[in-house]
Amino acid sequence: MSAVGAKPQAGGAMDVPATIAGIILLLVIIGATYFLVGPGLMFMALIGIIIGGLAIAFGVHFVPVGGAPAAMGQAPGIATGVAMLAAGAGLAGLFGGAWAAEQGLIVAVVTGAVGGGLLMAITCMFVTFIYVYGMGIPCASGKVAKDPITGDTQTEFKSQGTEGHGLPFVSYVGGVIGGLLGGGGGTLIYIMLLDVYKEALPGMMGALPAQIMPVAVSMAGIFAVGMFLVNAVLTAYNITGTIEGPHDPKFKRFPRALVASAVASALCGMVAILIVAM
Amino acid sequence: MTVKVEVIEGGVPHNTILAAGLVASLVLIYLTYANVMSGTQLFSFFGGLGAVAALVWGSHAIKHLCSYGIGTGVPSAGMMAFGSGVIAMLFATKYGVAAPIVAVVLAAVIGAILGFLSNNVLNMRIPVMIQSLIEMAIIGALVLMGFAAMMTGSFEFSPLTSGSISILGLSLPSYQASFIGGSLIAVAFMLGGIAIQHPFNACLGPNWTQDRMLMLAAECGFLSMIAVSVMSMALINIVAAVVSLIVSLVGWYYTYVKYIELSKRDAAGWLDSKPIPDVEGQ
Repeated sequence: MSAVGAKPQAGGAMDVPATIAGIILLLVIIGATYFLVGPGLMFMALIGIIIGGLAIAFGVHFVPVGGAPAAMGQAPGIATGVAMLAAGAGLAGLFGGAWAAEQGLIVAVVTGAVGGGLLMAITCMFVTFIYVYGMGIPCASGKVAKDPITGDTQTEFKSQGTEGHGLPFVSYVGGVIGGLLGGGGGTLIYIMLLDVYKEALPGMMGALPAQIMPVAVSMAGIFAVGMFLVNAVLTAYNITGTIEGPHDPKFKRFPRALVASAVASALCGMVAILIVAM
Repeated sequence: MTVKVEVIEGGVPHNTILAAGLVASLVLIYLTYANVMSGTQLFSFFGGLGAVAALVWGSHAIKHLCSYGIGTGVPSAGMMAFGSGVIAMLFATKYGVAAPIVAVVLAAVIGAILGFLSNNVLNMRIPVMIQSLIEMAIIGALVLMGFAAMMTGSFEFSPLTSGSISILGLSLPSYQASFIGGSLIAVAFMLGGIAIQHPFNACLGPNWTQDRMLMLAAECGFLSMIAVSVMSMALINIVAAVVSLIVSLVGWYYTYVKYIELSKRDAAGWLDSKPIPDVEGQ
């Protein structure tokens, strides 16, 4: 969280012409990939990458990102930026999923989701410990009068002049859901790219499949990390930095982020696939 | 819609830094091609210097973008730079000697599309958004390519993916002992990512001065270069790696001393305390 200046007042409205242009761009990229690599494994991988990107973008909206105000106990959420939180959850998920990559797509994606969710659950728990026992502040949301899950009232716990503080229960649940979606999405991108590279690299480099395994794993891994960060930062731009969780009014902005991240994932996925296809 | 909260007063204009950074970085990365011409690996350190040039430009590009208050924190800009840069850089390595140029062009295209998405689809409406994300992607690609060239002595696909290990004096080809196969690219990614976002994150505020931030950027770049030169010992011959290490240590020491000088110049007052106080008595 930067201490510099006011946040941009980007409204929640969708820019319709730009969104349509984005969707056309998405279709052009998908069409170009189909034209270049034809139907089959590589094209399906692109579709998988787009789905993974969408899961990441949607998941980040659930994560309670508090930023610097949260560190000072003036806003609810985890006291760091989207890039750090999403990278933590996504990479934890990615490592978990990559470990299970040999057991098939479903097992790997679920393992990745559990890894990401687990990291967020542990993070949220210790954040709450520190808020309650370390900083001595109760958990109260500033955006809703009642917690949508437990029904606890919030306003009497909220200090004057703040937007709420601590980590209300709904934010905790949102964090875990965000971790699940982010970890699963990141792992899906990784598995899709790994399949493509395992298939294409032996022919391209003139080596045995077992020999190129380190290269395939490393390339798929670094691309998955890169795409994860691009999607997470685009989503961070959408929520302009901070969000309380699924009950926050900013959550309703997610359709914009889905369009943007579908285009970004398709673009990055196309380049990543064309490395071995061209 | 947005308020620019900090203006760049005095100092070198951004476009000058942009042009100087781009040209210096490209030229320095291309100087590693002297390896191929001379048949040695002694010129690998030019790759690291190219990365430092790109990082200096990068810290100013981040300043240019983040002075509009994007609300997501300075590190996110650095992560965006490398997330989009790594994709362009790896694709470009396939084009042999043209790789740095291809990386710049492809990164510019990726950056332009990401800029359009954030500015128009996500409704950020920041005047410099598209230009900044183009610059970010190019910087990410160039820094990674510079570190890759420094670690392996080349920026082409096959030297980056294959290396050799020697067992009992025999030299065997191995894909694991390589920049990509050994996942050294992930370390280069983070070394660059930290070096690009730290300078502005550390120097922002009312007493921001351009020369101090750029000096810190160079210092962070050389610090990353030290780590890269140590890792390069596994991939290139030891003489070349030691040359890289000496160049990066000298560069780091010089920029560190200069940065401390500039910090003292800008500080209101300072007390020269010792890092570890002397134990008195006992």
